[in-house]
Amino acid sequence: MFQKITALAWKDTIIRFSSRTELLFFLILPIVFTLLLSGGASSNQNGDVDNRVPLLLVNRDDSEPAAMLVETLASSDVVRIDEQPLAEAETLFADEQAPALLVIPAGFGEAILGGETAVLELRQLPDNNNATAADRAVQTAVSAVSRPWAAARASVQEADRLEAFPDEAARRAYFQQATALAESLLADEPERIVVTQPEAALGEASTYDQAAQQSAGQLITWVFIPLLGTSALLAFERRYGTLRRLLVTPTRRSTYLLGTITGQFLLGVVQMALLIGFGILVLGVNWGRSPAGLTLMLLAFGLAAVAFGVALGTFVKTERQANNLSIMLGMSMALLGGCWFPIELFPPAVQTAVHVLPTTWAMQGLSDLLMRGAGVAEILPETAVLGAFAAVFFVVGIWRFRYE
Amino acid sequence: MNKILQIGWKDLIILFRDKGALLLMLGAPFVLTLGLGLVTGAFSGGSNGLTGIAMVVVNEDSGQLGQALADMFFSPDLEDLLVPQTAVSPQAARQLVDENEVAAAVIVPASFTDSILPDNSGQLGKPVSIEIYANPARPISASVVDSIVQGFVHQVETSMVSVNVAMTQLVMNGRIAPTNADDLMALGQEMGQRFITQDSAAPIIRLERDEAAAEAATNPNYLAFLAPGMAVAFLMYTVALGGRSILAERDSGTLARMLIAPTTTTEVLAGKVLGIYLTGAAQVSVLILASSLLFGLRWGSLPGVILLIATVAAAATGWGLLLASVATRPSQVSSLGTALMLIFGILGGSFAQIPFSGILGQLSKITPNAWAIDGFTTLGQGGTLADIAPALLALVVMALVLFGTAVLIFQRRSGALIAR
Repeated sequence: MFQKITALAWKDTIIRFSSRTELLFFLILPIVFTLLLSGGASSNQNGDVDNRVPLLLVNRDDSEPAAMLVETLASSDVVRIDEQPLAEAETLFADEQAPALLVIPAGFGEAILGGETAVLELRQLPDNNNATAADRAVQTAVSAVSRPWAAARASVQEADRLEAFPDEAARRAYFQQATALAESLLADEPERIVVTQPEAALGEASTYDQAAQQSAGQLITWVFIPLLGTSALLAFERRYGTLRRLLVTPTRRSTYLLGTITGQFLLGVVQMALLIGFGILVLGVNWGRSPAGLTLMLLAFGLAAVAFGVALGTFVKTERQANNLSIMLGMSMALLGGCWFPIELFPPAVQTAVHVLPTTWAMQGLSDLLMRGAGVAEILPETAVLGAFAAVFFVVGIWRFRYE
Repeated sequence: MNKILQIGWKDLIILFRDKGALLLMLGAPFVLTLGLGLVTGAFSGGSNGLTGIAMVVVNEDSGQLGQALADMFFSPDLEDLLVPQTAVSPQAARQLVDENEVAAAVIVPASFTDSILPDNSGQLGKPVSIEIYANPARPISASVVDSIVQGFVHQVETSMVSVNVAMTQLVMNGRIAPTNADDLMALGQEMGQRFITQDSAAPIIRLERDEAAAEAATNPNYLAFLAPGMAVAFLMYTVALGGRSILAERDSGTLARMLIAPTTTTEVLAGKVLGIYLTGAAQVSVLILASSLLFGLRWGSLPGVILLIATVAAAATGWGLLLASVATRPSQVSSLGTALMLIFGILGGSFAQIPFSGILGQLSKITPNAWAIDGFTTLGQGGTLADIAPALLALVVMALVLFGTAVLIFQRRSGALIAR
């Protein structure tokens, strides 16, 4: 029996890789997608990875406040400023080379030093989430850079309340003195907020880790689709009548299914190992915190996916139907399972509803391992659910399986 | 001409009768648009997960600042963004995070107020920090809570620094006499209360935005971007399938049979190209119509939409032909076509709005996706034909270049095209 299973698994591997283009889907496209979506393909002039949102910046004011704002924006984690003259910036913005354009107008610094409200012009591409991110980053920078000026303005107003300034020059000198004092005092303020995490996750980034999200999410997407494609193998065998021929050999239905499943499952495991290696070596994702937990999680996910493929194979009629259904279901379920975007961004009701999908549990398990520092014990619930999916799909597949 | 039309119509009918092909031509883009609409909250008025963030607060501070912070989480201003709850102890709050019930726990320590506001003798307590115990599985939501707390702390700090600066300057500049410490203390405390509670002061810097664009950026209608993106992405699959049919007809011998009839190679190929083009245009039209009827999506100027469909179908057909011209087997066209669909989908912005720069930004311009999405979203936002002229021109040029290249390759391989 073992020999038969091995032979069937090897035969399916040969069929699947009979065309070299299969390597595109097995390895090349998953790597390309992981790289692009994690921002790993964007690098700055130093060659460092820089996946911040580009923000076109036009600084038409040669003043210290304007320079301070530019400096604060330059240190943003969210936006990467691209300083340009107005005409070039407008052309680039019109060409949608950047989702937002910030103009610091002439007289910006003058207004601030005069205690007036300074105005910044922000243009954004509509219906664009990067424009929203740029907007928030500009607001954060404005809020941070305004603090000493806010204190200085309050000080000038208090002085004015007691005794009016003799002239504008005196008022301005008072404002500048106050700004310097406020900057010095704010710099000396102690740290009043500390961000901590569960002990198990210590050492992991407390902020959103796009590389970890995409390394896990794209792994699930690109392994899930071909494992669903097991359904195409069954359709292929039916089309060529090879399943009927098996009837004349002393091969049981369960042996045939076990051989097919084993082959595809092992290929899935190899693919997952390669993608994890890529995540560790190229993206620096910490996949190695709990090797036992990771192994358990991947095996459970692989089994659930291949079982789904077998069940699907008993419903489809042709290879094209099977292949296209695998792509459609695989992409949709990966998307809804939080493999493309963090599930925390979904509406609350959708977050709950998507737990009917195996991809949600797989993503949750891998996120727990990667971001929450979970071990075997913590991911047992996800593993159990994936195991249950596998059992149900296998039962459906075996029950409905026909040789022709 | 009649023969060309007949061949083209025949291919259109064949593809639209193929249930397997329809899954990716119409099913996948529709299901993915639906899925993306669901996860981005486009069907629920934009209420995505960044509204209703579950968080917990523990206030161990007996002073006014701790209470003010705790009250702020329950204020009407934040009721859409946060779903706050209180916990009796830091341990209980942390447990809620550990159990993934909330995105973050905010723990305000005892004597937080005393560490910022001086007492009657002017003394400040030892510095203490607010702890934000963040849920690593919900980093984005936790960072929102963090930024709210930071905003509060910054406001308090700025107010206190303002008092300090104002008092120092008043004394330094002789506007008040530093004779009576109690009077100074009283003035400082009165000022502090005023600064902390006043929120009506004009901002130091005001951000001026184009109102309509700002509204669209703040509450983006993701469907307006997703629907055309998906329609164009899966158009690449359709044209590859059309290109595949050229080689499939050769392998099955029907191409040779057509050539026995009084039909020239050019007529047959023109008919096949017309078939691919018509199928692609029909596919995008059906998806546009369906999203208009089912999602209520407005696509803008009808002539603009028709022109865009016509040009994007032409550019995509060019890619399909190019694939068919370089491939040797039908299955190769299918595989490469699916790969191209996915690569163009990610590079051209069909699957996600990624701000590509440098060489990737340039590469995205060779995809019909980037130009078509640009055109469709411009029209959806009320753009005119003039606004989408660059996109139309780019798609036409792309189509011509790809057609020309494919024809040259077909001519060089004309023998291989008719018989293997």
